[in-house]
Amino acid sequence: MSSIIELIIYSIHIVLPFMAFLIVYYNITSMWKNFRGNGPLVVLVNKITKEKIAVNYWENSIGRSKSCDIVLDGPTVSRDHAVMFRRDKGWFISDTNSKTGVLVNNKKINGCEQIYIDDIINIGGVPLLFKRADVIKNDDYVRLNKRKKSMPTVTLMMAVTIFQLLASLELCFVEGVFNYKPLIVFGLLSLIFWSYFIISKYIFKIVNFELETLGVFLSGIGIITLCGADIDSTYNQIIALALGMALFSFIIFFIKNPDRVVKFRIFIAVGAIGMLVLNLVLGTVKNGSQNWIMLGNISIQPSEFVKVAFILVGTSTLERLQTTKNLTEFIIFSVCCMGALFLMGDFGTACIFFVTFIIISFMRSGSIRTVILICSGAFIGGMMILKFKPYIMNRFSVWRHSWEHVNDMGYQQTRVMTYSASGGLLGIGLGKGSLKHIFASTSDLVFGMLCEEWGLILAIISVLCISLIALYGRHSSLKSRSTFYSIASCSAAGMLLFQMSLNVFGCTDILPLTGVTLPFISLGGSSMISVWGMLAFIKASDERTYAMRR
Amino acid sequence: MKNTRIRSIVVYLIATFFFVGITYFVYSFINNSQTWALQPINRHLSGDKISGGKILDRNSVILAQTINGKRVYNDDENVRKALLHTVGDGSVLIPTSIQSRFSTELFGYNFVTGFGAPKVANLSKDIKLTLDSSLCATALKSMGDKKGTVIVCNYLTGEVICMISTPTYDVNNRPNLSNESDDKYEGVYINRALSSSFTPGSVFKIITCAAALDYVDDIDKKQFLCKGEEVLDGEHITCLEHHGKLGLEKAMAKSCNIAFADIAIDVGKEKMLKKAEEMGFNKQYTIDGINIAKSQYNVDYASNADLGWSGIGQYNNTVNPMHMMMILEAIANDGEYVKPYIVKSIGEDSLFPSEKHTELKTKRMLSSQTAKKISDIMRYTIKSRYGDSMFPNMQMCAKTGTAEVGEEKLPHGWMVGFSQDKNFPFAFVVITENSGYGIKTAGPIAADVMKKVYKDYK
Repeated sequence: MSSIIELIIYSIHIVLPFMAFLIVYYNITSMWKNFRGNGPLVVLVNKITKEKIAVNYWENSIGRSKSCDIVLDGPTVSRDHAVMFRRDKGWFISDTNSKTGVLVNNKKINGCEQIYIDDIINIGGVPLLFKRADVIKNDDYVRLNKRKKSMPTVTLMMAVTIFQLLASLELCFVEGVFNYKPLIVFGLLSLIFWSYFIISKYIFKIVNFELETLGVFLSGIGIITLCGADIDSTYNQIIALALGMALFSFIIFFIKNPDRVVKFRIFIAVGAIGMLVLNLVLGTVKNGSQNWIMLGNISIQPSEFVKVAFILVGTSTLERLQTTKNLTEFIIFSVCCMGALFLMGDFGTACIFFVTFIIISFMRSGSIRTVILICSGAFIGGMMILKFKPYIMNRFSVWRHSWEHVNDMGYQQTRVMTYSASGGLLGIGLGKGSLKHIFASTSDLVFGMLCEEWGLILAIISVLCISLIALYGRHSSLKSRSTFYSIASCSAAGMLLFQMSLNVFGCTDILPLTGVTLPFISLGGSSMISVWGMLAFIKASDERTYAMRR
Repeated sequence: MKNTRIRSIVVYLIATFFFVGITYFVYSFINNSQTWALQPINRHLSGDKISGGKILDRNSVILAQTINGKRVYNDDENVRKALLHTVGDGSVLIPTSIQSRFSTELFGYNFVTGFGAPKVANLSKDIKLTLDSSLCATALKSMGDKKGTVIVCNYLTGEVICMISTPTYDVNNRPNLSNESDDKYEGVYINRALSSSFTPGSVFKIITCAAALDYVDDIDKKQFLCKGEEVLDGEHITCLEHHGKLGLEKAMAKSCNIAFADIAIDVGKEKMLKKAEEMGFNKQYTIDGINIAKSQYNVDYASNADLGWSGIGQYNNTVNPMHMMMILEAIANDGEYVKPYIVKSIGEDSLFPSEKHTELKTKRMLSSQTAKKISDIMRYTIKSRYGDSMFPNMQMCAKTGTAEVGEEKLPHGWMVGFSQDKNFPFAFVVITENSGYGIKTAGPIAADVMKKVYKDYK
């Protein structure tokens, strides 16, 4: 009898990686398919040459420079003359410190002004007629209304729920006798997932759920893994997931109007630095780094929330980019953040901030020279730190030599490799692993737990899923409603990718072990909440997110 | 927006970094999974969760098996203790044990299911050993509470029929070993037969004797003069007795230090080293895939007196017991040895194809002439010195050794030997650590064990 149950459970276990593959495959393809074609949004007609200029983006720079979205070749057109952009209320044009100004219907505008169909906009002596897009017959444009067929959202969400049910069922039989607790975890997970769906769909009228589905799918894998190791912390993690999804919805709402956020930035920056300072003053030291604040029984990692703030402060609308070209404020803010993290001894997170800082600076300035300058500066700084604090070198001494330090510095890495291999391709079974007894197994070493208990196939699918979410963030940023969303999305994508790399490669001794979390999957409430914040930036960059809802 | 579009390629850079890394990980996972999984640190190998195959002795006595998910060992406490180092205790502390080394076969590891295959589809195999568990138990009894090792081997086939290492403990009644200063359990996890090297003392004279036979002219007629002590460049070499004038055969029988020190100096550093290396010193051997400790002979920086001491097995020489066994095999077997082995077959009774030990290749270590001469000299040692009553009817050849280890500790006692009768082709190595004269400490154990072997195998 018991061997029959064992066989059934094992068949369920084998099915999981294939289900996971299908879930990721159909969600990702569905996300990719539902893009608008390359048709223009509106058209500008040059009154003199009768040339029709397609306006393809929600924010367009106009000027003489080749890098502008709309290149005008007039005698008095400035390099970056103006920015034409669409918001909820309609189209606007903004003069970005041009020499000759912008005239709308022969009136010189002051700063920013709304424009209407059939208005005449004069830019540096080039008169442009503002027209609807249908003056251009474009095959791509027709495709806009003919979307390719993809899996219905609810089906994909059901698949995730079934996946989680099967995984929880497997977990119920770990000891050979039935244990109901994993089913409670499954119930709570589904409750959060489907209430989110119902609230978003019927109250906020959101139509796309692929990104959230994948987020819940990944978080579910993490929570179920955790459930097999330490059921008590599982409940906290589920609460964190709910809070994360709430933050996700809030951020999407909050950044709906990017111009408003840009004005709030100074407060966000001050708040973020305030949190880090508070952390430095009140923080408790855990495992060598002082990045925790204890509030009663709850420990909070402020640096995780500062990640969200960092992107909010760093990103910018095109109009802002064209008028304020220097990065000084952002650099000062970044140096403060990274400095605080170094003082806390959290080098992993400091590295993540640094990479995100480079992404944002590059996205804003486009200057490779600046990036090289920053990197070499950081390199020299890093060398100085290593020279004056040689104990940091110790962390690197074991790198690529962990098998020579099986019972000291390489303890965790060697365990990860041994137990990952013990799982083979299909895994040893949920809750049956041995890595869970090793320190930090559910956070820093969670990739090893995925390999051991779920098998290499599912572990790879999970990390590929995260990287595909990141690549989707980059892809959707091409057609965002604002540069604000594009930069935020690309930075969030880069941050997710880099953090995941540090985690996965750190615990497998491909990179030095830094102790950062694996997005979505690692145990850690603050980390879970902030990852959903990142996901919100990716979601916001999709132009359909803020579509008019019927 | 066009700019943002181009600049967003920076995300691809990081993604590439990730994909390269993850590909590298998968690549090394595929290549190394077995090595990683079968590390002794792996708790899955302790055998409680995974149904493991049986370990059987040569007479199919069960030494370890899995019953209801628990690893169960032999019923007899003496057998459990005697075979602890061979079988393993389910922990990761004895890395040379069968349960650690053959965990793939025993516990059914494979790349696809890892250790996760359901018990019904058990992939584990049984392992049959060449050891005789009751002989091992006898050896352990004779050993008493001395530290050391006993090996008995068939020199024609290479089958090891007895291998014990002490101190040992009972798997079912594990003592508290956390106190490392406890002298009683010093080095308890080491299988001394495989993983230790000892100062050889006089048993090294066998090697020096081989060098003498090959390199010293007219060695048969040569006479040595022992006055109980000699001084070389101000350094002393001492002998236990005042032997007077004696030839090679008598020098060996009486274990005269002066004679062999003279031989070593006569042969010279280079040729001594050459002979030692021909006989397997400074060389890595593996027994059933287990790297055994190297025997060392290094006279690069030796003074004349040091070279003399090296010829009588002191100086910095060390010998691994299993390597000593190979040397004995070669002498007994006309200069050729068969590599000893412990694993007779894997998965003999399983559905899957089984592996049997088939390697019976012999390798030459000595010329057959030299081997024959050493054999006769060792036979003379027994006849003239200890008498055949010690090993009745066995035509035994032997050499004892008393290896000084300094630090005011008692010397290691050695006795090594083999039967000249090829119908009783057994050789033995006995070592007792820090116990006194070889003949008084290792001797009785060797006699006990070989009498039992004679009773059971002749």
